Amino acid sequence: MEPLRELAKDKLKGKKVVAVMSAKGGVGKSVISALLSLSLPSTVTLIDLDIHTMAIAKLFGVENKELEVDKEGIQPIKIKNVGLISLAGIVRDRYVLLPGKNQSNVMKELVAYSAIKSDYVVFDLPPGLGDEILVLEELTDFKPVVVTTPSKVSLKVVNYLLDYLKERGKKPTVIVNMSYFNCGNEKVKPFGDYQGDINLPIDPTLEDYIGRIQEYEGEVKKVLRENLDKIV
Amino acid sequence: MHEWSVAYSVVKTLTENFNKKVLKVTLVIPQFSFLDIDLLKEAFNELKKENPVTENAELQVRIAEPIFKCRNCGREFRLSDVEKQINDVRSSYGEEYPLHLMPELFPAFLKCPYCGSHDIEAKGQEMYIENVVVEDGAVARTS
Repeated sequence: MEPLRELAKDKLKGKKVVAVMSAKGGVGKSVISALLSLSLPSTVTLIDLDIHTMAIAKLFGVENKELEVDKEGIQPIKIKNVGLISLAGIVRDRYVLLPGKNQSNVMKELVAYSAIKSDYVVFDLPPGLGDEILVLEELTDFKPVVVTTPSKVSLKVVNYLLDYLKERGKKPTVIVNMSYFNCGNEKVKPFGDYQGDINLPIDPTLEDYIGRIQEYEGEVKKVLRENLDKIV
Repeated sequence: MHEWSVAYSVVKTLTENFNKKVLKVTLVIPQFSFLDIDLLKEAFNELKKENPVTENAELQVRIAEPIFKCRNCGREFRLSDVEKQINDVRSSYGEEYPLHLMPELFPAFLKCPYCGSHDIEAKGQEMYIENVVVEDGAVARTS
């Protein structure tokens, strides 16, 4: 019997779980996970399962903040309606290199040993088709949010993930990130034209909010918020 | 403080998997997590009261010493061979150090004492419930 797995399952029981994923790296999963969490109408625990990059901590500017541990477990770092759980709060600013089996178990440990008391749980997954998706399937039912860019390379790879999710009976919401920018009354599509369930604009000012993403109220968040019903 | 989470995981596992009263449960934990056994038992004795399945259960703890194997050079080594590495992690992070909270992080912090590779595995480092004695005297081997 695996107490770790039982505890991880228990922590997610009764929660609305959203998993932000992509088979391709660098498409904006972490930014979307962050903005989605900040846009949800209730309390959210945002768990960074990308244990190698730990981008969530960097986006919110808390990469050197230590997580507190009490009787209920590792306490998330509270920012607005969001509680952040990241390995960065445990290992701090250091590399994490792990063989596959340990990677799966660390993900389970991160869920099991955290105090998760919110209505929603959002997982920011690392790129690729790997252990993290299998681990999540083991622990809970979840709504997949698949992120891509309009680039042909990204679309091709993301289709593998969509095929897999379809086979597993899941209904993903596809977000096409960086799909256009507004130029006067015209929508310019520099990277190709692909219609997802939600198409997000390019906003160059977003870069200024890395480290304080919680203060961003620009175009990308606005469009995401208008389309929340397609996700939850 | 992390001992409370571990104790809760044992209570949860018992209440999810048994419907008879549990009298004794043996938990195996890896040595390098350095859990405080007294605190673990104290937490278990507090948390077990929540459910009739666990209220009379006694927690026994067995500490397993892992045997490491390097996948790069193939050599085996023991905890005593990497003691200095573990102590360095403990002293640089303090009480809630990473291997205490998440023992599965060990390959990120420990390396093979012979070749320096982080591609190491450990036999006997997982935390698991070894056996459970229930009310009618049956011993359920669970591993």
